[in-house]
Amino acid sequence: MADSDNDSGGAHNAGKGSEMSPREQDRFLPIANVSRIMKKALPANAKISKDAKETVQECVSEFISFITGEASDKCQREKRKTINGDDLLWAMTTLGFEDYVEPLKGYLQRFREMEGEKTVAARDKDAPPPTNATNSAYESPSYAAAPGGIMMHQGHVYGSAGFHQVAGGAIKGGPVYPGPGSNAGRPR
Amino acid sequence: MQVHVYNNNAKMDQNQHVQPAQEAYGENQYQSNPVTTPTVLPTQTSDSSLSSSYPRQHPNDPQLEAMYELRQERLQQQLNNFWAKQCQEIQEATDLRTHSLPLARIKKIMKSDEDVKLVSAEAPVVFAKACEMFIMELTLRAWANVEEDQRKIIKKHDIASSISRADVFDFLIDTVPRPLENILDQQGFVGLPTSTVPTPLNDACYHNPPPQALVPGNPYGSPRIAVGMPILDQNHPGLQIHHFLTPMEPTPTPTPNPQNPSPSSDC
Repeated sequence: MADSDNDSGGAHNAGKGSEMSPREQDRFLPIANVSRIMKKALPANAKISKDAKETVQECVSEFISFITGEASDKCQREKRKTINGDDLLWAMTTLGFEDYVEPLKGYLQRFREMEGEKTVAARDKDAPPPTNATNSAYESPSYAAAPGGIMMHQGHVYGSAGFHQVAGGAIKGGPVYPGPGSNAGRPR
Repeated sequence: MQVHVYNNNAKMDQNQHVQPAQEAYGENQYQSNPVTTPTVLPTQTSDSSLSSSYPRQHPNDPQLEAMYELRQERLQQQLNNFWAKQCQEIQEATDLRTHSLPLARIKKIMKSDEDVKLVSAEAPVVFAKACEMFIMELTLRAWANVEEDQRKIIKKHDIASSISRADVFDFLIDTVPRPLENILDQQGFVGLPTSTVPTPLNDACYHNPPPQALVPGNPYGSPRIAVGMPILDQNHPGLQIHHFLTPMEPTPTPTPNPQNPSPSSDC
């Protein structure tokens, strides 16, 4: 799923974004996806100029970097290496995006429940992305710790009711390598 | 006639707002978040700062002030409906494996910051939904602009204008030029043309990579914001593409915008 989304988005960008180099394309989300989402928020008779779409593309990348930077700072203060969903929610609260947190908490909870039901399927889906070649290099250390990561992953998943407490305990105990992360780093 | 309020004061308020949150240990802030009251407060703060900055620009025109507040109220109602709908949609969603944005690309953007080492699998999933809401919120705000002008096409300056009106979007100052603000500065905050806006002076330096796009005549760079999150500086070179489809000649006076040096966030 992620693969096809990524490919089609990339192809679309390649077709229309002739002024963007391939490397710069990776800095933005695909303009087709952005455009589709913008239209969801508008009445049917509304039109969107291309420069408006491109501006929103840039804004979204900035949003991701802004939130990620804050979450990363928090992880470093707490001597943790992995940014997780709760860190992002905390960062959004801190940076003024409180309205986002309530729906996202529900979303994250449901995602975790689903992960618990389909652990194997999740691993299969997380592994394939070929564009993670660079990311694989980053995550090769966690690959070595894959067994531990998997164990922690299962602990997180099956303790979903008290997930936050479990995560807290794990965090204080030392470095945490989530299973899905390890899976993502595993080359095929 | 259209009047816009630009929030130098609001930006200062934004800084004050963010700082206490950090000092108060964000985790407390986060844990208290389930309460509905905190969710409402920032919005009120934003409205309050916008309202307080507005009368200073037009203290002698109560009619314009009333019109402005009516539009703000209407926009706020639309946003409230939007957020309620988001919670509902998430509760009713049956397929959480279909993401509207590619997770691999989100992860790559997250990792463009060298300080970011490991990212759990759920983080891009959270961002996929968060970015979807972010895009829709920006679009909704921009559309309110378009409707005011009785147009049907959202343009770049509608995005820029809606960003400049909300404190929470101050982090986008470097990303999006603010043509309306430049024009307003030069014209003393009088009414604006509704269809097109000339290229702002200060953003010429951002327009280098795309040779096919229309190039403005002024190559000199604008003063960059030195204060703020380092991540903005790091990502800035990668966000150099700004398209100026209106090649109208900008005013030759190279007056620096006094609001540009304002820090956009406290790190």
